[in-house]
Amino acid sequence: MSLLMIRDLTVTAPTGQRGDADRVRVLRGISLSLDRGMVLGVVGESGAGKSLLGRVIAGQLPPGFAMAAGRVDFSRRNILALTPGARRAMLGREIAFIPQDPRAALNPVRTIFSQLREHFAHLGLPRHQHRARAIEVLADVQLPDPADLLGRFPHQLSAGMCQRVLIAMAFASRPLLLVADEPAAALDAAAQRQTLELIAAQRRRAGTAVLFITHDLRRVAGFCDRLAVLYAGAVVEEGAAAAVMSRPLHPYTRALELATPSLATRRGLVVLPGHQPGLAALGRASGCRFAPRCPVRSAGCAEREIPLIGDDRRVACQYPERTSRIAPAPPPPPYRVGSGEVLLQVDGLGRRLRAGGVLRGRVTAVLEDVSFKLREGEFLGIVGESGSGKSTLARLIVGLDRPTTGRIALAGADVTKGDGAARRIRLANLQMVFPDPDSALNPRRRIGSIVAQALEAARRPAVEREAVAADLMRAMGLDPALVARLPGQLSRGQRQRVSIARALAARPRLLVADDVVSGLDVSTQAQLLALLARLRASGIALVFISHDLAVVRHLCDRVIVMQQGRIVEAGETERVFTDPQAEHTRALLAAAPPDIGPPATTLLAIPPPAG
Amino acid sequence: MVRKPLTSRVRSASPRSMLRNLARRAAVALATLLVVSALIFAMLRLLPAYPAATSLPANATRHEIAAVRHAMGLDHPWPVQYAAWLGGLVHGDFGQSLHRHRPVARLLRNALPATIELTGSAMVIALVLGVGGGLLLFALRGRRAETALDMVATLGMSLPAFVWGLLFIVVFGVTLNLLPFAGRLAPDLPQPPGAGFLLLDSLRAGRLDIFWSALRHLVMPAFALGIAFAPPIARMLHTSLLRTWEQDYIRQARLRGLSETRLLFAHALRNAAAPSLIVAVRHLGFLLGGSLVVEVIFGDPGIGSLMVGALRHADLPVIEAVGLTYCVMVLVIKALADGLALLLDPRLRRS
Repeated sequence: MSLLMIRDLTVTAPTGQRGDADRVRVLRGISLSLDRGMVLGVVGESGAGKSLLGRVIAGQLPPGFAMAAGRVDFSRRNILALTPGARRAMLGREIAFIPQDPRAALNPVRTIFSQLREHFAHLGLPRHQHRARAIEVLADVQLPDPADLLGRFPHQLSAGMCQRVLIAMAFASRPLLLVADEPAAALDAAAQRQTLELIAAQRRRAGTAVLFITHDLRRVAGFCDRLAVLYAGAVVEEGAAAAVMSRPLHPYTRALELATPSLATRRGLVVLPGHQPGLAALGRASGCRFAPRCPVRSAGCAEREIPLIGDDRRVACQYPERTSRIAPAPPPPPYRVGSGEVLLQVDGLGRRLRAGGVLRGRVTAVLEDVSFKLREGEFLGIVGESGSGKSTLARLIVGLDRPTTGRIALAGADVTKGDGAARRIRLANLQMVFPDPDSALNPRRRIGSIVAQALEAARRPAVEREAVAADLMRAMGLDPALVARLPGQLSRGQRQRVSIARALAARPRLLVADDVVSGLDVSTQAQLLALLARLRASGIALVFISHDLAVVRHLCDRVIVMQQGRIVEAGETERVFTDPQAEHTRALLAAAPPDIGPPATTLLAIPPPAG
Repeated sequence: MVRKPLTSRVRSASPRSMLRNLARRAAVALATLLVVSALIFAMLRLLPAYPAATSLPANATRHEIAAVRHAMGLDHPWPVQYAAWLGGLVHGDFGQSLHRHRPVARLLRNALPATIELTGSAMVIALVLGVGGGLLLFALRGRRAETALDMVATLGMSLPAFVWGLLFIVVFGVTLNLLPFAGRLAPDLPQPPGAGFLLLDSLRAGRLDIFWSALRHLVMPAFALGIAFAPPIARMLHTSLLRTWEQDYIRQARLRGLSETRLLFAHALRNAAAPSLIVAVRHLGFLLGGSLVVEVIFGDPGIGSLMVGALRHADLPVIEAVGLTYCVMVLVIKALADGLALLLDPRLRRS
């Protein structure tokens, strides 16, 4: 008997269009089981319903959502039939949860100790043992100086430390089941890896089974015993992790794999058309929900729902044998290290910040002696951990901040001073795309007017602005009809494209993109990378800041590696990735998630489908 | 493998930075007082009021007027007058009342306890009703009763204190004859010895009859003054509770099996309290202003009544002193609120 057994689980939600009568199945006939001490990875893109699975197990569906069918058994109890009191007794003790954003998941006004002891009280631990136990569990997750940590507040800790505290709390009761919903998504590569290793070590010690929810196939690769791939609310493929990774049977799994940039080699990315259906589209969908985007579909696929069939290896596809025929994308054009005009030149750039009072404050250098050249049409990647100075550098280039030392030249003119003349040169030559599309777009402006904003400043007539906006929307793969919408009505990926379209409207020669693809789903990311790659043809230069090394390897011609405000390595991308010189570069490469699937070379041998 | 020194990110608020913070706040408060004192002083000199005239007969000679003006110090240039006044203030000397011929400091000392008792209890009423109302609104969220309660709140807020006062007098005082509505104590009872805080003094003297009488006299003015300030506090608490309820740490605590009651009182309330506190303080300035009218309506001998009497007689030293006292009270309340906010939210403790 499995520890967790989900059978035919169906959850419905109102579409909000025609009142309560119009409900769609956001989870559809999910059947999964998890044995004691095993790890099941649930992989899917945002909107697939994977987080909802965790909420069903906790018995905490969002308002309006309802269980329509199915049952969930946890150690021989139907947990959906439990009384609230019985469920509370089970949560935190037998089932523990690790959240996505560790800093937001701890109460900011209570000390670490007060939150730990509240949990211990829930577990029934006598009061006088709280302090000793707290120090013990914090030491277990390798937090330094646990006794000192007890009196601290969450805002005094880094995100990685907060996540350790939450992991310590989760394992304090040696739970039978841990639900980890993207536990590392909010951390940088090194902290991500440490967090996952910690969870792995703790769960081995406590014998805990793990339901691991993630959108990043690469991250779960070495961690899971079994994998389930979710698409539009249904499991499309399930099986032993190694088997699913090395030989995907469902076209969607295969497409995900081929859309993920590789760290080891530079390969083209398969870009699926369209996107996963949202709430409203789910109601209209019939047959295989992946069929509209499937590269190997047949006419019959859209006619009836395809059940998940198979025994140890299950797949919801009528033609699983076709999956291996989906070919990798053709390799991208070779890197080009420009010989053109130098567009941006940075010499000995430094930025110091004063912390504390005027008299006794300390001065810290967030950027120190940074120099590089960027030629026309070149794509330059800047990588480093958070706090390495990447974003400061971007802010200095676009003039949001002034350097303490050094010089910035743009299109042959000195723009270091940031005076009126420098501002005009910047406006004529450069644009920035911000990391968070949710806050970068004015929520009260229509998409059309956001995109054409730059032309408004140049006093171009409305007719021209509309035409340009429509053109840019099409170029970004967006429906021009979206111009009448507000940012809140678009998906995150769509908003990021609007953000890029707005930057392009000013016809810049240099685009500075700070962390624009992180947090996006793999297929959305592939679409966006394809759009950026297409910009090459126009001769635009790009400064691309990212902490995802595989993405930089895919997109950029040259790369700069930063650590603590300094450049530790710079060079052509191929050389830096295959023959890293700096120790820090090697460390970053080691911390990055491994590639998925077999090497691309063997896949190339499979001929593309005929016709 | 990259290992970052984890401790490097730990920040703490040292006692020294806290002290520096406190010193800075004290300096700001002092500067505020100075500016307010100068404003009050200048304003009163610009008014067409002739304090000397009120204390002289109509047929006074030019010479007599000059003598009185000299005695009052009004013949000196403004800056000299101001400096002399400030110098007196530092030594606790607020000057002499022109009308009542007594030291202003003593008048203030006699009147202040009544005002503090009134505003203090009004504040407690506003906070209790406000916090209770906020919690009730939150508990009723999404139901029809929430809308109804919100309408009641709007009504409570839209009537000014003096209308509430008159309404109470008519209903509970005159028609139902339930509560007294003039003065602080029944006329046949003696004033208990002490600083003038009747509720405390009577308890200390062991006179429950005086305590009961004082309490009955206090109920209507305190409610009249406090009631209008409960709805804004309730609303702010309601909205910030709703916002807090959506936070990850509430959801995470629920996933640890905590009860909804515990989530509300141990996790949400303290986080939601800080913004409500700011609203409460912003309204307390108005509450102090309202106490002036309420004191006059209910015949309370507080500094409001003192002020109104002084205005009638152009009693400049009294007006100046009372104006400054109001300012000090606002600053003290603000300091208390700041302290409370620091206590509630550790994130503010960074300087």
